[in-house]
Amino acid sequence: MTSAGKTMKTQMVALGVAVLGLGGLAFAMFQNPQWGYTNLLVCAFFFVTLAAGGLVLLALNTVAKAGWHIVLKRVFENYASLLPVGALLILLTLVNLLSGENSIYEWARPGVMEHDHLLHEKAAYLNSPFYVIRMVVVLVLWLLFSLRLRGLSGAQDKDGLVERTNQAVRWSTGFLVCFALTFSMASFDWIMGLEAHWFSTVFGMYNIAGLLSSSVAAVVLTCVLLHKTGWFPEFRIPHLHDLAKLLFAFCTFWAYLWFCQFMLIWYGNLPEEGIYYIRRWHEGWQPLFYLNFALNWLLPFFLLLPRPLKRSPNYVAAIALVVLLGRWLDIYLMVVPANFVLPPIGWVELSAVLGFAGLFVFLLQRRFQKVPLIAKKDPYLQESLNLH
Amino acid sequence: MSKVRTVGWFEQETQILDATKAARKAKLRVVDVYTPYAVHGLDEAMGLSPSMLTWVCFLAGLAGGGSMFALMIYTSAMAWPLNVGGKPFASVPAFIPVTFEAAVLCAALTTVLAFFVRSKLFPGKKVVPLERVTDDRFALELLAEPGEARSFFERQGAVAVQEVP
Repeated sequence: MTSAGKTMKTQMVALGVAVLGLGGLAFAMFQNPQWGYTNLLVCAFFFVTLAAGGLVLLALNTVAKAGWHIVLKRVFENYASLLPVGALLILLTLVNLLSGENSIYEWARPGVMEHDHLLHEKAAYLNSPFYVIRMVVVLVLWLLFSLRLRGLSGAQDKDGLVERTNQAVRWSTGFLVCFALTFSMASFDWIMGLEAHWFSTVFGMYNIAGLLSSSVAAVVLTCVLLHKTGWFPEFRIPHLHDLAKLLFAFCTFWAYLWFCQFMLIWYGNLPEEGIYYIRRWHEGWQPLFYLNFALNWLLPFFLLLPRPLKRSPNYVAAIALVVLLGRWLDIYLMVVPANFVLPPIGWVELSAVLGFAGLFVFLLQRRFQKVPLIAKKDPYLQESLNLH
Repeated sequence: MSKVRTVGWFEQETQILDATKAARKAKLRVVDVYTPYAVHGLDEAMGLSPSMLTWVCFLAGLAGGGSMFALMIYTSAMAWPLNVGGKPFASVPAFIPVTFEAAVLCAALTTVLAFFVRSKLFPGKKVVPLERVTDDRFALELLAEPGEARSFFERQGAVAVQEVP
């Protein structure tokens, strides 16, 4: 009874924060469209990548025919179940794209294409109708895969057929191939397109690395909280240890790609490539540029090195929170300098982050109350329960 | 009566785990456990303290990366400053890949060497391996009174017991 009361209370708090934050953001979107929509894009992209990240983690483990993750499978699936809301939120950025003068996408502002030769050359790709079609197609594809994979898992809860797992392996393979391509395209369109003169071929990969590290961080945080409140006794130290190892690895993968992109551009020193880092490495953005690297790699790497620390729940959860904060900053640094010479960090950022975080927690918690947390008829379940 | 080394062979992974735990509970000294593959949970069952190898690896990585970084700074910025494409002499981003490679190489090689030194392995060393422990059996080696070890192994369901010199 008390735990149900507590759940109710967290849910009300999350909803209250969501309403206040999103209200503030909506106000900003009317009052100062550039600032408001910039933050909407940052947070909606974060929201979508976390939801899609759940599906990616599920598919990766399914393709590998892994057994260790079955206890966590429903956490991955519940993340994926937020995809429809994430899709709606990212679709909201279209209002801004199509709004002409106030668009945060330079190429979408009226008169720009005609006078900018380089952008004009890209007009066959960078035009509003094609952009909208690409966005819708990408989101629909992810939703279909999400429905299929979660559907197979739900059906297995009823009939326990091993064939469901085999089918999930095939669908996951298809999803991973599709996702690698479509997510690269999506990050090119939604984020890289903000500075359409600039280009980086590793950009999609870089975002996949960020997606992986932040999704694992979010899963760690969820599992530890569920375990602490007594909902998740099956989640044990070996699971945490494996997740912490993944977090460590993906943070390092992120750093590798972060540096790949930076070093080649720094070394080449070509104006149309360098402008991206000139904006981010000078003036008010510089501290954030270094902070980004510290939060996403330096801290998690050294703090997660010792084995005993990877096995202590509160500690890993705290680092997961750092990585999530770092991921927000990473997206912020990709998006905002395109239109702002100085970091405009203020009440809009605060209300956007709180609003989206509140909404995410609220929806996720409702989802956890609806579906059984353990996929009790999965053929690999015992292996995961016995994980050492 | 002096204590002797006695080896018992088991057929199952679970048996060797249980036997190892039981031996430590019965205050018998566990000399070593031999298995065909890494058995999860055996470290805890044997009561091994955390390996120092991780520290060797970490420090060797730091030393390798650090010395390579120092070498590059010294050669290209101090001993003979070299202008490459107008970049600063001490171009840290350009040095990172080599630093990283040197750290990985040094950490890996040192860890392997440290492992060989610690386990006293070197070329030409003659070792008579226990039978079948590289194939399908799990062996537990105890140091105990002869009769005590033998009866312990029989109670645990060992398929073969042998005293070794």
